[in-house]
Amino acid sequence: MASKKADKGSLKLVPILDLNEASVLHGQLTNMRGEDVKIDASEVERIGVQCVQVILAAAKTWEADSKNFVFEKVSEAFEKTMQLIGIDIEHLLAKEIRQ
Amino acid sequence: MDMNEIKEIFFQECEEQLAELESGLLKLNDGDRDPETVNAVFRAVHSIKGGAGAFGLDDLVSFAHVFETTLDCVRSNKLEPNQDVLKVMLKSADVLADLVTCSRDGGSVEDSRTRGLVKELEALAKGEMPSGGAAEAPKPAAVAAPAAVAPTDDSGFQPIPFSFDDDFGGDDKTVFEVSFKPRRELYSKGNEAALLLRDLSRLGDMAINCDTDALPALDAMDPEETYFSWTISITTDKTEEDIRAVFEFAEWDCDLEVKEVAAEAAEELPMVPVPFDLSALDDEAAAAPAPAAEAPAESKMAAAAARVEKKEAAAAPAAAAANNAAAAANAAGQTIRVDLDRVDRLINLVGELVINQAMLSQSVVENDTNGTSAVNMGLEELQQLTREIQDSVMAIRAQPVKPVFQRMSRIVREVADMVGKSIRLVTEGENTEVDKTVIDKIAEPLTHMIRNAVDHGIESPEKREAAGKDPEGTIKLSAKHRSGRILIELIDDGGGINRERVRQKAIDNDLISPDANLSDEEIDNLIFAPGFSTADKISDISGRGVGMDVVKRSIQALGGRISISSRPGLGSTFTMSLPLTLAVLDGMVVTVAGQTLVVPLTAIVETLQPEASAIHSFGATQRLISIRNSFCPLVDVGRILNFRSTQANPVEGVALLVESEGGGQRALMVDAIQGQRQVVIKSLEANYTHVPGIAAATILGDGRVALILDVDAVVGASRGQSMKQDGGALKADVSLAAAG
Repeated sequence: MASKKADKGSLKLVPILDLNEASVLHGQLTNMRGEDVKIDASEVERIGVQCVQVILAAAKTWEADSKNFVFEKVSEAFEKTMQLIGIDIEHLLAKEIRQ
Repeated sequence: MDMNEIKEIFFQECEEQLAELESGLLKLNDGDRDPETVNAVFRAVHSIKGGAGAFGLDDLVSFAHVFETTLDCVRSNKLEPNQDVLKVMLKSADVLADLVTCSRDGGSVEDSRTRGLVKELEALAKGEMPSGGAAEAPKPAAVAAPAAVAPTDDSGFQPIPFSFDDDFGGDDKTVFEVSFKPRRELYSKGNEAALLLRDLSRLGDMAINCDTDALPALDAMDPEETYFSWTISITTDKTEEDIRAVFEFAEWDCDLEVKEVAAEAAEELPMVPVPFDLSALDDEAAAAPAPAAEAPAESKMAAAAARVEKKEAAAAPAAAAANNAAAAANAAGQTIRVDLDRVDRLINLVGELVINQAMLSQSVVENDTNGTSAVNMGLEELQQLTREIQDSVMAIRAQPVKPVFQRMSRIVREVADMVGKSIRLVTEGENTEVDKTVIDKIAEPLTHMIRNAVDHGIESPEKREAAGKDPEGTIKLSAKHRSGRILIELIDDGGGINRERVRQKAIDNDLISPDANLSDEEIDNLIFAPGFSTADKISDISGRGVGMDVVKRSIQALGGRISISSRPGLGSTFTMSLPLTLAVLDGMVVTVAGQTLVVPLTAIVETLQPEASAIHSFGATQRLISIRNSFCPLVDVGRILNFRSTQANPVEGVALLVESEGGGQRALMVDAIQGQRQVVIKSLEANYTHVPGIAAATILGDGRVALILDVDAVVGASRGQSMKQDGGALKADVSLAAAG
């Protein structure tokens, strides 16, 4: 279970996003195709590169679909992992949380 | 899967790695300088070390580490793998194998052996050649310069060269550019690129660029595929080796390049600095369920599990192309590990199928006399198909003889070392396949023969030189298929059999009479006689109280035959012919007192219809048959198995001349021969109980059980019988009332 769908268009990521979660997350996001998406990554404690790949592929797809793909909240671990692996998600962060 | 099972898999993998290691070292020994061979050798030791570390097998880890370090010198061309170096390496491979065995089965390897080799390996790594070896290898740069002994000055002090680097080396940091591209396997084996990058960032100041160009759109991606790759610039006081050590357990599952660059050249790519405190990632990393160190041990399982659990959602058309390419690359040599019991069960079931099909055929044939009905035609196809299935299933158990042959090279090395001979083992046809049971059982007799060949067959270097031969002896071990059997030949270029000595020994041991007129071949074959040993002194190597008779018996127990041909001064050739499987048997189907029996074809020398004039009575009940001027005891199978109470008339039956263990011949009397056929062997022990005189059973096409005769036991029982009549020894119990 990669995420909990709170309500339509929102996705709350689970704390551990390892290899096993990549396919689950992929399925969840695929089902949300075509709608604006708000991601809550505030509880993420660990995220592996394969889940990051899924999220970035989704962001790319949403951009091509001209739909919104925004991180509403992110945890420190999530943010630092992104920096560590050299992924810039600044443009995906909601205005309120941009630094 | 519990820890013991994981450990068992690790040991199985170790065996494969050890075989890989030895075959690589032998290739190097033969002059192969392909970097891939060196890599394969290194990889084998490295994998063993990795797995052993995960299980806390410290002895194994520490030895493998030293071995690996020396191999790394070979890999980086600092050490030329010449004969002397390889001798040490081969010995180390042997010790590594012993350490693995001890870790699995308990026990310990002699400390002095390990210590001695560790010293030799360390010396090699430092560029010191083994004693007696030509110092042709370039010495590693590290020890070449400062380690040279400095001359003492006039005052008697020896200037000690030292460096300020360690204490004042603030500015001597190096910039490395690391290019890291993980492969799919990296993740499936439980490694995580993010954790590797985190560990790397701890070595110094790091800036990173992630290449995400390969990432497809969401619907075209395979979530378990790998699309990201990184270029990292790291400024550190650590060495290239330290950087590579971060990727130690993932090295084979990624493309990794580490190069030192000039500081100013390092800024070509837009790098994101990673200077921050990563402690937020540490806590949960420590709690990560799959620590990197455990990955190698579980590697194959994890990979298998990943394949099995492959989510259906992962199938995406666009990514499929990329996947297919990767799959094609992986397809070569893909294997699965299957429990032997499962294969055996399958073989058993196919045996049943064959029998069932034969029974069905027979009943259809009986009811369809002209043989043209559609059912009959269909049955023929079924028969064809059943045979193919049987062959394919048998092929699952078939394995190349390579592992056994490889074991022999170690024995040649060790024994040759012990007796001070120089011997080269040449193997041929290692990929010839034979049933696993045969492979398991052939190792012991083969070991004995190899020891014999090294100890007695090949002469000492001095003797060889005196005879104008190459001081280095050659033993050739070859395997090939011939008419449905495997033929293993062991050829040495030694002195051949000393027929005079063999003959004398046979006379001394009462094996032959002094005036016996024997052909060369017959004299050669005397070495297979029980208790025969020509060694003047009992050596540690082959004189262990067992002789070639034991070898012959083991081979015969497998349904095989062994023969020898020898040319004085030129060497000997031992030829073994073995069945390809122990699940089916070529047998002669005979009738005895109304019962159908199967006699293994391998035991039968010839069959004959006795004439009344050839039968001679001996004592009260014994009879002999005269065959070409020699007498052979006649054994009535029906009588000895208690199928009938009185002896049958030999003239009305057929005599099968059989050879039993120890070379004794007997003529077995049966009533009639039905024919020859291949039968599926069914264990009596597993289905009923052991019956003396009977080796196993089979089911014939008409559904009846036919017993397979244990020729050796019947011959043994016939001896027991005569002993009883002569003086009171126990009669062999071959009562078969229940088994008929």
